Amino acid sequence: MSKTTQAPKALRGVGNFIDDRFHLAKMGEKNLRKVFPNHWSFMLGEIALYSFIILLVTGVFLTLWFKPSMVEVIYDGSYERLQGVPMSEAYASTLYIDFEVRGGFLVRQIHHWAALIFLAALVVHMLRVFFTGAFRKPREINWLIGVGIFSIAIVEGLFGYSLPDDLPSGMGVRILQGVILSLPLVGTYVSMFLFGGEFPGEDIITRLYMLHILLLPALLLALIVAHFMILWHQKHTQYPGLGHTNKTVVGTPMFPAFAVKAGGFFFFTFAVTAGLSAFVQINPIHLFGPFTPTSITSGLQPDWYMGFLEGSLRIFPNTLDFDIFGYAVPVAVLIPGLGVMGLLFGALGAWPFIEQWITGDKRAHNVADRPRNVPVRTGLGVAGITAYGVLWLAGSNDILSETFSINLYLTTYIFRVLVILGPIIAFIVTKRICLGLQRRDRETLEHGYESGVIQQLPSGEFIEVHRESSDETVEILSSKPTITSTALDETVDDKGVESPESRKGMGKLRRRLALWYTRDNVSVADVEAHSGHHLHHSHSTEEQDKEPAH
Amino acid sequence: MKWITARRRHPLAGYVVVILALALFGVGYAALAPTADQAQARTLAADVSSQDDADVDVAEGRDIYDQTCATCHNYDGSGTTNGPDLRDVGPAAIDFQVSTGRMPSMDPNAQMPRRHMVMSEEELANLIAYYNAEIRNGDAGAPIPADVPGHAPDREEFPTPVRADFEDEESYEEAVEEAEAAYEAAIEEYEAEFDAYIAGADNTDMGMKLYLTNCAHCHSWSGGGGALTDGRWAPEIHDASPRQIYEAMVSGPGAMPMFSDTVIEPDEKQELISYVKTLQTEPNAGGPIDLQRIGQVAEGFISWTIGLALIVACAIWITAKQRAHD
Repeated sequence: MSKTTQAPKALRGVGNFIDDRFHLAKMGEKNLRKVFPNHWSFMLGEIALYSFIILLVTGVFLTLWFKPSMVEVIYDGSYERLQGVPMSEAYASTLYIDFEVRGGFLVRQIHHWAALIFLAALVVHMLRVFFTGAFRKPREINWLIGVGIFSIAIVEGLFGYSLPDDLPSGMGVRILQGVILSLPLVGTYVSMFLFGGEFPGEDIITRLYMLHILLLPALLLALIVAHFMILWHQKHTQYPGLGHTNKTVVGTPMFPAFAVKAGGFFFFTFAVTAGLSAFVQINPIHLFGPFTPTSITSGLQPDWYMGFLEGSLRIFPNTLDFDIFGYAVPVAVLIPGLGVMGLLFGALGAWPFIEQWITGDKRAHNVADRPRNVPVRTGLGVAGITAYGVLWLAGSNDILSETFSINLYLTTYIFRVLVILGPIIAFIVTKRICLGLQRRDRETLEHGYESGVIQQLPSGEFIEVHRESSDETVEILSSKPTITSTALDETVDDKGVESPESRKGMGKLRRRLALWYTRDNVSVADVEAHSGHHLHHSHSTEEQDKEPAH
Repeated sequence: MKWITARRRHPLAGYVVVILALALFGVGYAALAPTADQAQARTLAADVSSQDDADVDVAEGRDIYDQTCATCHNYDGSGTTNGPDLRDVGPAAIDFQVSTGRMPSMDPNAQMPRRHMVMSEEELANLIAYYNAEIRNGDAGAPIPADVPGHAPDREEFPTPVRADFEDEESYEEAVEEAEAAYEAAIEEYEAEFDAYIAGADNTDMGMKLYLTNCAHCHSWSGGGGALTDGRWAPEIHDASPRQIYEAMVSGPGAMPMFSDTVIEPDEKQELISYVKTLQTEPNAGGPIDLQRIGQVAEGFISWTIGLALIVACAIWITAKQRAHD
C-alpha cells in the first residue's frame, strides 16, 4: 500500500550498532510476531501479573517510611485520637504513612486491594488452566511453578498483613504461632526460633518484614519469570476451532495488536485497583488501634485467601486431641492448620501426574479441552471448589451467624456436614451436567441447530426445521477427543496369560480408576455432521416420512 | 400499546420487565410496610418530661408495672417461670431493659433486639419509682447513674403542631417554629452534656485497653456486635447512650458479665465509654465507603465481586472484537 520508509538516520545508526553486536533484529522480529490466542480466559493470568507489578511499585513506596521495629514509642503524630498511646514503631510509622505522607493512605490501600485482587486472579487463572486441561504435557512443570507461586503468595500476603502491628495483625500472628506450636516435637522450638523468645517478643515484625519485602518477593519474581519464559517457549494453549491444531497457534500477533491490548489492560487493572482504594476503605488500622497481647476482638477474619484455613480451624472437632508421654498433640490445630493446606497444594501439584498415570496419555496437548468433554476432571474441580468454598464460608461463620441470625453452633454443624457432602454432590451434579452437554453437542452435530421455524407436513405433523451449523461449530463439536486409557487395553495375550502389570494391586487400582475416568462419555466418533433425520425433514418436506415423530 | 408491541421482543425487554417488577415490589413494600415512626407513634405517648424525682407518680408506676411487667415477673417482682426475679437487680437494670426497648418482651424465650422504648420517659420514671418503693430489696442492685448522659432527644418527643388547631396561618407557623426550636435546643443541650462527659476522659490508652480487653471479644472492636454461643448474640452498641452502656456494665444483662464499679471504676468506665463512642464517630479516613466496618469478610467479597469482576469484564471486552486479519 505504501512504499517502505526508512528510519531517520540517527535511529538507524543506533539500531545498526546494537544489531551488529546482539542480533536483536532477528530476535525482535520473531518475538514481536508471536501469536496470542484471542480469548478472555487467557487474560486471567495477566491480571495476576499486573497486580503483582502494582504490588511491587506501591510496596517500594511504603518501605520508604515504614519502620519494621517493635520498639515501644509514645505516639505524638497528627492523628489526634491516638496521641499519648504507647505503640510499636511499626504501628506508629504506618500511621505516619497514613496521615503525614502525601498520598500515603491511598498507596497503602492500593497495596492492600492489589494483594486481594492478585490472589483472586491467581485462583481464577489456575481454575481456567485446570478445567481446560492446559496443565497436561508439555506444561506440567509450569503448572507446578504456578502452584508454587500460589502457595508463596498466600504466605507473602499473611506476612504483609502482619506488619503494621495493629490489632488484627497481632491476632493473625498469634494464630500463626498457635499453628506452629501444634507441630509435634519441633513446634515449641520453631516458635521460639521464629519469635526470638516468647510471643510476641521484639523480633517478629523485623523478621516478617525481611521475608515480606526481600525473600518471598524475590522467590515470587523468579518463579513468575520462569513461568513466563516457559509460557513464551511453549506458547499458549488454544480452544478447539477451525485451523487450531496441536501444531499451529491462531491468534493476534504480539506487536502491535496484542501489545496495545495488554498495555491497555494493565491500565484498566490499575484503574480498578486505584478506584477501589480511593472510595472503599480497607483495613483501617488507625481505627483498630495497636496490638497488645491482652487485646482481642470478635468479628475479625484474615484476608480472604487465608479464609479457608480459618474455616477449617473453626469447624474441625477437638475430640481427636491426645497426649503422648505427657506431651499434647493438638490434632484439632495440626490437621486443619497445616494438613488442609498440605492437602490443597499436594492435590493441585499431584493432579497432572495422577491423570497421566490413569490415562497413560503421554502425548503433548496444545489444544485445550472443553471442560464438558472431560467430565470426571471437571467434576473433581468443582468438588474441590465446593470444599474450598465451604471452608472459606466457615471462616466467616460468626459474621454469617450474626448477619443472618443463625445459631453459631448450628453453622458449625452445617459446615461440618457440607464439607463432606458438598463436594460429593457437586461432583455428581457436575458430571451429569457435563454428560448432558455432551449429548446436546452430539445432537447438534448430528442434526444442526434448531432454527425456530415450525413447519407443518402434508400429513399434519409439525416439525421444527433444523439448519446446518457453521463450519466453526462443526469443527469444535467433531474434534471432541475420545477419552481412553491404556489401562483398559487388552491385558490378556493370545496365550490367555494376563500381563504381570495388571495383575498387581496398583495395576488393578489403575484399571478401576481408568474405568471410572472414561465411563459414560458420549462419543461422537460415529457421527457424521448433519446426517440426522431432522435435516431430512427440512430438505425434503414433500417426501413421505416413515420415521416416527420426535 | 403499539409502542410496547413494537419493543416487546427486544433483547433487553426481559430485563426491563424484571427491573420494573422489582421496582414495583420494592416501592410498594416501602409504601405499605409500617415504618418505625408509625409503629412508634402508636405506642409512644407524645409527651416529654423532666426526669426530676419530684413529680413521679408511684401509683401510676404501679399501674404500668401490673399491666406490662407482672405477667412474667409476678406482682411482687418475685418472678415466674417466664421471667426472672427482679427484687435484687436494681433500678439500673430496669432502666437499661426498658429504655433500650428490650422490655416488655414479646417472647421470653428469645433474645430481644434493641428497639424504641415502648413507654414515655415519664412513665419509665414512674415505673422505676414504683420499683424502688415496693419491689426492690432494700437498696440491692446498682442505682441509675444519673450523672451519665442518657439518650439523645427523640424527634417524636417534639410533635409538629397540627394545622387544624390554629386560627390562622401565622400563629400556626409560629408554633411550628417554636417546636422546632425546642427540639434543637434539647439536642444542643444533650450534645453539650455528652461532650462534657466525653471530654472528661482523655486517656485513650486506658479506654482502649479496657474496651479491647473486656468488651471487644463480644461486641467487636468497633462496637458492631458479634455472634455468641447457643444462638445468642452480642448486640451492636452504636445506638446505646453512655448511660445505657454504663447500666449494662453494672447490671450485666442477658449473657453479659457484670462489671461493677469496684471491678471497673467509674472514671475508668468514663474512659471506656468515651473510647468506644469517639471511635464510632471517627470519620472513615480511607474512603467514603466503609463496608459497615465489618472488615475482612466484606473486603474479600468486594475484591471478588467488584474488583476482579470488573477486570475480567474488561478482558472479555477487549478480546471480543477481532479484526479479520488478526
